[in-house]
Formats: sequence, structure tokens, C-alpha cells
Amino acid sequence: MTKPTDLVQGTLDLLILKTIALEPMHGWAIAQRIRRVSNNVLQVNQGALYPALHRLEQQAWIQSKWGESENNRRAKYYSLTKAGEKYLKAEESNWERLSSAIGLVLKTV
Amino acid sequence: MRRLQNILNWLRSWFKQNSVEKELGSELRFHIERQVEENIAAGMTPEEARRAALREFGGVEQVKEECRDTRRVNILENLIQDMRYGLRTLRKSPSFTFFAVAVLALGIAANSAIFSIADAVLIRPLPYRDANRLVMVWEDASAYGFPKDTPAPGNFSDWKSRNQVFEDVAAYSFGGSFDLIGDGNPEELAGKSVTANLFSVLGVSPALGRDFQTADDIVGAPLVVILSHGLWLRRFGGDPQIMGKEITLNYERHTVIGVMKRGLQFPDRETELWVPFRLSKEQLTNHGSHFLGVVARLKPGISLKTANANLATIAQRLEKEYPDSNAKVGAFAVPLREELAGDVRPAIFMLVGAVCFVLLIACANVANLLLSRATGRRRELAMRLTLGATRARVIQQILTESTLLAILAGAAGLILSVWGTKFLATLIPAGIAPLAGTGVDARVLVFTTVISLGTGILFGIIPASRVTQFHLSHSLKQGGGQSGVGSGGHKLRDALVICEVALAIVLLTGAALMIRSLQNLYHLDPGFRADHVLVMRTPLPRQKYEAFAARVSFYDRVLANVEALPGVVAAGYTTRVPLTNSGGATGITVEGKPEPAAGDMLIPSTRIISRNYMQALRMKLIGGRLLEQGDAPGKLPVALINQTMAKNYWPSENPIGRRFKIGRYNESSPWITVVGIVGDVHQAGLDVPLRAEMDLPYQQQDFGFEPEYLVVRTSGDPMLLAEGVRQQIWAVDKEQPVAGVMPLEDLVDENLASRKMQVSLLSGFAALALLLATLGIYAVLSFTVAQRTQELGVRVALGAQPGDVLRMIFSQGLKLFSIGAAIGLAVALALSRALVHLLFGVSAYDPPSFAGVTVLLAAVALLACYVPARRATRVDPLIALRYE
Repeated sequence: MTKPTDLVQGTLDLLILKTIALEPMHGWAIAQRIRRVSNNVLQVNQGALYPALHRLEQQAWIQSKWGESENNRRAKYYSLTKAGEKYLKAEESNWERLSSAIGLVLKTV
Repeated sequence: MRRLQNILNWLRSWFKQNSVEKELGSELRFHIERQVEENIAAGMTPEEARRAALREFGGVEQVKEECRDTRRVNILENLIQDMRYGLRTLRKSPSFTFFAVAVLALGIAANSAIFSIADAVLIRPLPYRDANRLVMVWEDASAYGFPKDTPAPGNFSDWKSRNQVFEDVAAYSFGGSFDLIGDGNPEELAGKSVTANLFSVLGVSPALGRDFQTADDIVGAPLVVILSHGLWLRRFGGDPQIMGKEITLNYERHTVIGVMKRGLQFPDRETELWVPFRLSKEQLTNHGSHFLGVVARLKPGISLKTANANLATIAQRLEKEYPDSNAKVGAFAVPLREELAGDVRPAIFMLVGAVCFVLLIACANVANLLLSRATGRRRELAMRLTLGATRARVIQQILTESTLLAILAGAAGLILSVWGTKFLATLIPAGIAPLAGTGVDARVLVFTTVISLGTGILFGIIPASRVTQFHLSHSLKQGGGQSGVGSGGHKLRDALVICEVALAIVLLTGAALMIRSLQNLYHLDPGFRADHVLVMRTPLPRQKYEAFAARVSFYDRVLANVEALPGVVAAGYTTRVPLTNSGGATGITVEGKPEPAAGDMLIPSTRIISRNYMQALRMKLIGGRLLEQGDAPGKLPVALINQTMAKNYWPSENPIGRRFKIGRYNESSPWITVVGIVGDVHQAGLDVPLRAEMDLPYQQQDFGFEPEYLVVRTSGDPMLLAEGVRQQIWAVDKEQPVAGVMPLEDLVDENLASRKMQVSLLSGFAALALLLATLGIYAVLSFTVAQRTQELGVRVALGAQPGDVLRMIFSQGLKLFSIGAAIGLAVALALSRALVHLLFGVSAYDPPSFAGVTVLLAAVALLACYVPARRATRVDPLIALRYE
């Protein structure tokens, strides 16, 4: 396993929001999904994931609800709030601007 | 919306800390369980699977802690931790703690004490129902020199019947004394004649028995009385059977019908009983003699402005209906509270301002200390920040520490203020003190707590925000040495010292102006000599001394007896001694002048005196003669007038030998001849403008005013003769009450007492400000010297002379002082205008006061510079270079 890329705080928030935008998910599933979708490049450390989830909830971008998990256990599901959706959109376009700008620099130099 | 959500989450964390904690636990447990399942599915043994899952997860407790942090559930724990830490650091530096607590405690105590006074006088509700609807109504006879005159019964009666703004209007007599005889010693009690509706207007009812009824308030009705709670307890032992009993007041039997509720003392604290006024029909149509106090209750929703407009309209109508008595007489209402607070209001506002300034200076001082300390603690704070403490967390910790200091100071301040309040209680006007009751109570406690917490945050926030701004790496490196302290800290400390100097200048100029006013009053010639004079009151009971001849004979015999006493230089009677009251005024017509139009009548203050009154008080004779033996009944009626009357009424001629009469030309009263002019005497108070005044001998005519004050000039200590004089009075009438025996000097002092109190308080606060500002300058310079020891060492090593070093430190101190002084003087100039009402004979911009204060503060500032500067010159370069 390669050394997981360090995730800057804002980036992790963006990944979490994007991931649960599809459907409500619990913490473990979020970590799994990010890893799978990124082909194992992005490994989310639990020590960062849960504080991030709690912070996002505190900021009211996301909300949580206890529900039944795929293995029939009680799990805490996170979903986007209205404000979270807006925030995600804004952050996504920000990210795209930023990454394309970095791309330009890398190509030209 | 989001903010609301934030707050809700936060609150949930607070209140449901347990369930949140449980949820957090099960959330993380689920994660691990799920990972275990996954690992098993991947082919691990259950044990291996669990170990791997836990390993991957890392520290469960750490994650929990971080989650808690994001939810701030720890705020309380942090606080406790910070408090423990704060107490420990405060204990570790006891001298700092003591100094800071002492400085703040003084500031807080001053505020608490002044607050308790301001609360009693200005804020606390009066003990009446809807007290904010109660007003006093006065006549405005400015045209005659009485801008706030006691109303005449006729006017009271017309206001009552014609107004549309008052629920009800009640009246009481302004003076009133009752001799209580029987059941113990004869006693003179202060009481008021009141209209039957007075208590219902005030919205109070008796604790026992019944209130007055209209039937009690008619001429010829049986005499009844309501006792004050205090009198009932003191004189009648709280006898519940007192109702219906008879007591003898002024030789007449009165039936006790009620005992007023405890603490109600209207209109002043001296009043111990109330009787129905029983104003006759004639009195109620009399618009000419002014002797009532009038209190009214506004209808709900009626403003003071509306009420005053209505009163003005009525007054205008009365002017037309009764031109003789009412021309140029207006009417106006004043809220009862304002009335009771009286002249003290501006003084209280001034003191409130002063103590706020003192507290601000104290805050600046302690902020400065904390700043110096915090700078010294940079390394510790930098370390904490590096180890992951957030800025907010460090600020919270510093604020906790400063608040702890403030709370300690608040507790100390409260103890000080308990003592201070007793001392200050004399500032509260008589009308309010008993109603409000002063002392440290729950309100003062709350105020002190709030102000302490506020103070803690105020002086903590500056160093806290300052300290956490520096760059971490820079500080960690720098902490080892001291030479490179950032200039930002200096600037802030300098700013604080400048503020202190400025505030101190403002307070000092205020105090200087007040002191100059008091000096002016002391140096003012009151027109008489108060030393070696004994004063007492002998009010004659009207029933016993109905006949004019009886009164004249009483005065004649008492004066003859007293003047025969050894040690007595002169004795005299007067209606009112100087500085107490104007004592009445009478309209006159001057012979040879055209009949004055209605409202243009001359109304000089009137005093009825005995022959030797002027000699007893050593008043100055300006022209003509004083009263003589020959000015007897049946002889030429004579009068003395004061300089103001001579100047105003006979501006271009010699008044001696001129005549005037009481009332109008056509009145039958005799012409009175002016035989002497005496120097002006400050009759109504030292700071009250002079009026025209005439003095008439008591024997020649019954003027309706009776001499009440006996003044005796003695060769020795006046109080030594008090008993002898009393015996001489009782030799004439053994039942005559004698009251208010005191040296006249005490009366003069009393007249200036509240002003003196204001001056000494303000001076005390100013001195405190001076001390604190000096300490501030000293602390900053000492700190600078300590910080720059190395630099100074280098300079000395390179050949700097002690003089150069001295100059350097002094110039820094003086720079701070000059900027502060300039700002302070500007602010003081702007603010001193607010003092105008409290000043006497001195301009609000009095140059000597401003200059003197600046010089004083400059001198003290130099002293504060000197000590650190001397220390700087003694720096040994060898030691200094090794200092760090």
C-alpha cells in the first residue's frame, strides 16, 4: 500500500460532502467509498474522518440520523443539508478553478 | 439559519452531554465492528481481524477527544482546568496578584459605593404605587424672584378642580410642629397638615386603622391624627390598642385613627405624624399667601409635557381672574423623584463619571501589568500553541486568569464598599434616604459582580489578543533572550499609559475646579460672623400665644433674661437665621413711586427681628442706624433694608428716611420708614443669589411672621451657655419647647456639607487616579529599563555618560506624559462644561486649575521616571552584557 496522500482539511470536507451527496452514508462507508473511487490513492484516516464529520455537522453542512446498516446494525447516517448542497456546489467550482489553474502552470513551465 | 443550527447543536451538546457521549461511542464502535467483519470476509481469523481493525483505526480516545473538541463539549472542563491553572499562577507571583487585586478592588469599591448612592437617588422605585406618575406642582413666580414657589391654597384648589391631566391633587403644609404633651416628656414633633386625599394620591394606606376621609378634613370636624410607624413604636411602644385613643398635640386632644405603614416618611424623614388640613373656604380661595406643598398623580398615559401645558393654560386663566395675586404667576409640575433627588443629581452624575474613570485607569494599569507578564510568558504560550492549542483556547485561558483576578478584586471591593457606603450615605437627600434605604444589598451585589466580570474581560482581552498574534517560530527562538522584544507590545503599553495620564488629568481638573469653588464659598463674605454664636429654635404654640401682646411679651422677657446672663454679648430673635431659608416675603409699595401694575409688585424677603439681632450676628451697618430702644410699639414704624434692596428699589437716591408700606397704596397699613441699610447676608444659602430684604422690629406690628430663632453671641464657647439660656427661656414659660440648639458655625458647615462631601470624594478619586497613573508610568519605564539592560550596557561600554542614559529614559517618560496630558486637557475642557452647575465663582475653563493640574501631574511623572532612570545609569556594562 502506498503512503496515503495527505489530505488538506478543506479537501477532506469536499470529498465527504461529495460522497454523501448521492445518498446518506455512515462513516465507515464514506471512508470505503472514497478509497474505492480513488483507486486506493486517497485513504481517509479515521482519526481525521470522524472529527471532520462532527465539525461539518456542527457547521450544519450535514446532518445525521441513526438507521439500520447493511449488516443489520444501528449506524449513524450522514446526509447533506440544503446549506451543505450549496456549499458543495461552490466548493466544487472553486476546486475546479484551482486544479485547472495548477494544471496550466504545470503544463506551461 | 446556520448560526441557529450551530447554537442548537452546541446547546444539545451541553445538555445532553451523556447521550452525545454515548452516541459518539457507538458510532466509533460500529465503525470498528464493520471493519472487523470486512477483515473476516477477507479471510482473517476473528482475533486477527479485530487487531487489524483497531490498529488501522488508531487511538479511539484521541478521535473521541477531537470529536468532542469540534462540538466544544469541553468548555466547562476547560474552564475548571484554566481556573486551577490560573489560581496556581496567581499564587506563584503573590506581589503581582496583590498589586493587581488592590488596584482593581479600589476601582470596583468606588463604583459599587457610588452605584448604591446613585441607585437610591436615581434608579430604585419610590415606595409609592406607580411612583413614576407622581409629580410635585409649583408656582412659577420668577417675576418676583421665586422661580419655584410654594403654591397658595386658592391656586391649589383651582388646579385641582380645573385640570384634565391629574387623577387627583393633594396638598400638605410646608412647615409644621406639634408639641406632644402627656405620657412622658413634652416633645416637639415635626408633623404635616395634609388634605384627606394625600395618602390615596401617593397610593399608600395605613398599616393599622384607617386613612383620612373627606369628613375629617372639614373645619369643625373632630381632630384626628395618623402616626408614623416610627413614632408609634418609639413613643407608644407599638401598642396595637392605640386606635381610638386620644393624644394631646399643641394643647388639643386628637384621636389616633391610624398608623402609617413602615418606612413611609412623606414628605421628609423628620415627619412623624399627619393631621387633616381642614382648609377653610376662605383659605381655599386665597391666592395670595403661598405655603403649600402640592403633589399630584398623573392620569395614565398623560406625559409631563401635556400636564405642564394644561397647568400653563390654567395659570393663564387665573392671571386674568385674579390679577392682584396671580399676575405673572405660572405653574409647572416636576416628577416626584426628580424633586426628591433635588440638587444632588448633578453631583451624583459627576461622581458616577469620576468612578468610571478611576476604574478605567485601574483596568489600564492591570492590563499593562498583564501585558508585561504575558510578554515574559511568551515561551510558554508559544509552546502551547505549537503543541496544538488553538488561539481561542489560549485566549480563553488568559481571560480566565484575568477574570479570576477581577473576581478576587470584586470580593475585596465589595468589603471596601460596605464601609464606603455608610460614609457616603450623607450624600443622599433627606427626602429619599428613608424611602430607599441604602447599604449593600442584592442590587449592589449584582452590580459589583457584573462590573467585576466586565473589568476582567476588559483588561484581559488586550493582552490576550496581543500575545497570541506573534509568530510561533520567532517566539520560540526569541524566548531564550530578551533583547528583541517586539515593538508592538511597547506601543500598546505606551497607549495604555497615555490613556491613564489623560484620564487622570480629566479627573484632577474636575477636582481642582470643585476645590476652587469650595474655596470661593469659604472666602465668600456671608455678611455675618458665625463664630461664638449659639442658635436655638423656640416655636411658639399658636393656641397659647394667639395674642400679639403675649408673643411680644415672651420675646421681650426672654431677651432681657438671656442678655443678663454673664458671658452673653448680645442676644436677638429672628424669623430665620442666615443660610437656612428665605423665611418669607411680602409685597410692598414704595412711597412716591407709581402704583405698580399687577405682577410688578416689589416683594422683598422679610425678616422680623429684635433690636440686637444685627449686633448678635455682627452684621455690617452701611448707612443710617440700627434698631434702637425707641423703636417701640406706637412709635414711628421703622425698617432696616439690605444693600440689594437699597440698590434695587432706590437706585438713584438715599433710601434713608424714605417710606414704604406693606400691600398697596390704598391699604390701611402704616407707612414704614427706612432708618438703616445693612450689609447683604446670604440668607438662603451661600451659593444662592442675593435678594432684596427688609428687617422689621417684632414689637411694632403683627406681620404674620413670628421670630422663631434665638441667636446669642457669647464671649466664650457658645455651647457652654446652652443650658443657661434654656433655663432662662423656661423661666419665662416652663412648657416652651426648645429645639435645634447648636453653634451657628455648625449650621454654616451643614450648609456646605454636601458640597464638601462632593469635593472630598472627587478629590479622593482624583488622587487615586494620580497614584494609578504614576504607577503606570513607573511600571512601563521600569519594564523598559529591564528589557533594555543589554542595550544600555552596550551604550555605556561605548562611552555613553550617565547623563545620556538619564536623558534617554526621561524623554521616553515625558513623551508619554505629554501626549497623555494633551489629550487629557482637551477632554477635560470639553467635559468641564458639564460641571458648570456645580461650580461657584470659577469658570469651567479656569486657567489656574488646568495649569496647576498639569504641573502637578508633570512633577509626579518626573518622579516616576526618576527611579527607573537612576537604575538605568547604574547598569554595569559587564553584567549587562551577560544579563541574558
